[in-house]
Amino acid sequence: MIEHLYIHIPFCKKKCPYCNFLSYEGREDQLDAYANYLSNTLTTYMYGQVNDLPLQLPLTTIYFGGGTPSLLTPKQLEKILCGQVYDPPLPEISLEANPATADYVKLKGFREAGVNRLSIGAQSFNDRHLKTLGRIHSSEDVYRIFDDARRAGFDNIGIDIMYALPGQTFDEFKEDINAVLKLNPEHISLYNLEVQAQNFAPLPDNDTEADMYQYAIDKFKEVGYKHYEISNFAKPERECQHNIAYWLNKNYLGIGEGAHSHVDGYRWVAGGEKEAEHGCEKIIMGLRLLEGIAKDNFIGFENEVKELKEQGLLEETAENIKLTHRGLFLANLVFEKFV
Amino acid sequence: MDPQKIRNFCIVAHIDHGKSTLADRLLEFTGTISKREMRAQVLDTMDLERERGITIKAQAIRMQYKEYTLNLIDTPGHVDFSYEVSRSLAACEGALLLIDASQGIEAQTLANAYLAINNNLVIIPVINKIDLPNAEVEKTLIELKNAFGIEKEEVILASAKEGKGMIEIIEAIIKKIPAPTGDPNKPLQGLIFDSHYDSYRGVIAYVRIVNGTLKAGGKIKMMGTGSEYEALEVGTLKLGLQKKEELGIGEVGYLISGVKNVRECRVGDTVTDTKNPAEAPLPGYQPIKPMVFCGFYPVNAGDFEHLKEALEKLQLNDAALFYEPESSAALGLGFRCGFLGLLHLEIIQERLEREYNIDLVATAPNVIYKIIKTDGSELFIDNPASFPNPTQITQIEEPFMKLTVFSPSDYVGKIMELAMDKRAEFKGMEYLDPTRVMMTFQIPLSEVISEFHDMLKSCSRGYASMDYELIGYKPSDLVKMDIMLNQESVDALSIIVHREKAYHKGKLLAEKLKEVIPRHQFEIPIQATIGSKVIARETVRAIKKDVLQKCYGGDISRKRKLLEKQKAGKKRMKRIGSVDVPQEAFLAVLRLGK
Repeated sequence: MIEHLYIHIPFCKKKCPYCNFLSYEGREDQLDAYANYLSNTLTTYMYGQVNDLPLQLPLTTIYFGGGTPSLLTPKQLEKILCGQVYDPPLPEISLEANPATADYVKLKGFREAGVNRLSIGAQSFNDRHLKTLGRIHSSEDVYRIFDDARRAGFDNIGIDIMYALPGQTFDEFKEDINAVLKLNPEHISLYNLEVQAQNFAPLPDNDTEADMYQYAIDKFKEVGYKHYEISNFAKPERECQHNIAYWLNKNYLGIGEGAHSHVDGYRWVAGGEKEAEHGCEKIIMGLRLLEGIAKDNFIGFENEVKELKEQGLLEETAENIKLTHRGLFLANLVFEKFV
Repeated sequence: MDPQKIRNFCIVAHIDHGKSTLADRLLEFTGTISKREMRAQVLDTMDLERERGITIKAQAIRMQYKEYTLNLIDTPGHVDFSYEVSRSLAACEGALLLIDASQGIEAQTLANAYLAINNNLVIIPVINKIDLPNAEVEKTLIELKNAFGIEKEEVILASAKEGKGMIEIIEAIIKKIPAPTGDPNKPLQGLIFDSHYDSYRGVIAYVRIVNGTLKAGGKIKMMGTGSEYEALEVGTLKLGLQKKEELGIGEVGYLISGVKNVRECRVGDTVTDTKNPAEAPLPGYQPIKPMVFCGFYPVNAGDFEHLKEALEKLQLNDAALFYEPESSAALGLGFRCGFLGLLHLEIIQERLEREYNIDLVATAPNVIYKIIKTDGSELFIDNPASFPNPTQITQIEEPFMKLTVFSPSDYVGKIMELAMDKRAEFKGMEYLDPTRVMMTFQIPLSEVISEFHDMLKSCSRGYASMDYELIGYKPSDLVKMDIMLNQESVDALSIIVHREKAYHKGKLLAEKLKEVIPRHQFEIPIQATIGSKVIARETVRAIKKDVLQKCYGGDISRKRKLLEKQKAGKKRMKRIGSVDVPQEAFLAVLRLGK
């Protein structure tokens, strides 16, 4: 059964040069038609016309990702959800928001349409870095949308921060961390920039990047966030349930162009061929969680586990195998062993 | 066939002076090949040759012009193959000396022309590419006069590309080059000037009959190796093989005799009749002497057998390739291979990687060192790893070359500087004309094989050319420098260096290794040592962070693929002790430069 639904909104005012997600720039006029399409797709699934993909109603989580889902109007969002899937109210309906694309009224509309978790793509509080990243918003916009969201009734807000940015100093990084802590969101995601795009200033070196990561871990812990996944920190009981489903290799259905699905051992991109999942995938996803995953997931990988334990990258608890603190920093070296 | 109507000739030229194009035009002009059959550079058949624009394997082709049979014997154009060139020349009575009008005489023009003159060949000078806008015909004529005493009137002006001068060239071949002489009644003497391996028919030897007759079906003997065979098939060479009953004196053709390996059918050997053998072989036969050595190791130990088979196959067609298994503490099982020169080495390496798909680690090339030990015994060493303990060495000698460099006079200063840096001893300088000089040096071969040619080209904006020949062994103050990675000596990175340069090279090498060795989970000290003395030290610091942070909207396959890529990258590296060393590390030794 499928309890988790991902809805992709592949539209952006302007594409960011580092982003690998499917998205179209300057085609917001098609949002209405796209919302209709999503609504139809979802209805088809809900009424069981796609028999091999039974949705378990009510769903446990719904996640609007992008692209820029906050380009939707509350009306379009309501249409997509058909007014039905969230009755009784779902534990978690998340929506990704770009700070420059939603005001108080819109956010209030989203809240009323059922969205109960907002994920704000702040990325940085430094306007110079925001410009480098090609973001269309300023740090002011971040403060404003956060305030608007609280007033609109969101009591579960996540903020995305990127680090190891082109030309970023350690002090600038600290300022970003302190700025996000001042807002006191329920959830923080901390990502490093993966790709070196052209014409960017050099990225901070490997040592600095490691120091930044360590600084954030310490700082977030100090004020009561739980570090529950490599890149994610949450106040108690505020972990993102949708993403946890990914990491625990649960079934999820993705609808909309470019959306990924995983159901009963198969993965596919919407409209694409189904592919059998690889045995290693549940391990490389599960180990991202700091509490690790159950030992029986590692059957057949005894030698790898032994070697990684000797290297101080993995450790065992009563039921689980998990990354050590050192392993967190060198997780690729761990994952590599299993692929 | 009447030998009076046969002309055997070759074309000698510096690389890129248009030899292959001229050959193509002659084939076209004589109607040997129709335009339709024409591929550019018909005679260069291997892809690699085509790509590098050079001829590696010589071949021959027969053309008919009026009542004359003209055999064009193609020669390899690189200094590494000078013995092969000399045997091809020995099969001819005359040579076209081809010079690019825009380049003038170059080092290999001179070297190959002298080889031809020493083989008593009649020289027909041809200035090619006269249609180029930067052609300097007058200047080239003066150079020919100064270098060889050739008069202006003797020179044919041509453009192979445009087909200009072809008739003059053909007429000159017939008029000036003597018909072959020989005695059909004497015992058979045929000169093998080339051979190649065909997977269906075995070795196909290219042969020039000097005396007697080579008959299909007869018993034959290779005089150099002493092995005997039956002449299964003989014939002449057009674009393919043209079967004949026999080959008479002066004729050039092929011989198939069930030989399985080109080593048994050596270039320069004499084929004779078993029943009525010649008294002596034709002069000039030389056993193969590899000059440059390196180790080839498969990156994946499992590829060892595959590498062995590939080398066996390549050797079928390359008598000059030498290999024997060796084992390195660092790299495991591999082969020590010997080559005629650096180009030969690069070609073999590329073919192994390209045609046989083997990921290779090639160690830095080295020469054969002669070591005189304290007990008076002499040792020849082709692998730095097997150098004896310095306390047992009285003297080390290395091969020296006579190096000839041709260059516009503007670059004399820079070339001199490069030569001095490469331990060359200046021997003399001559002006060919007011703007071009010929410099001669004595230089250790080991310096020539490490980037010398590239550096010469870059310090002369590509204008200088070079040629070299072996003089003999001379003593040098050499030491063995070892590299330690994470406290473990890596035998495959050991090099022999001149004592005065050891510190500098050690430092450079350690720095380069630091650049190319990726950061590991632990710190890796890199040390360059001479004996027990550390002369340079660098450290590859431990990696502090390596983690993919973003999980893309449930796109787990992408993440797995990235990890697979990273893992595959590491697999291509060589694990030495606990350190993953990329192939570039072994190249670093090569690229030490100045």
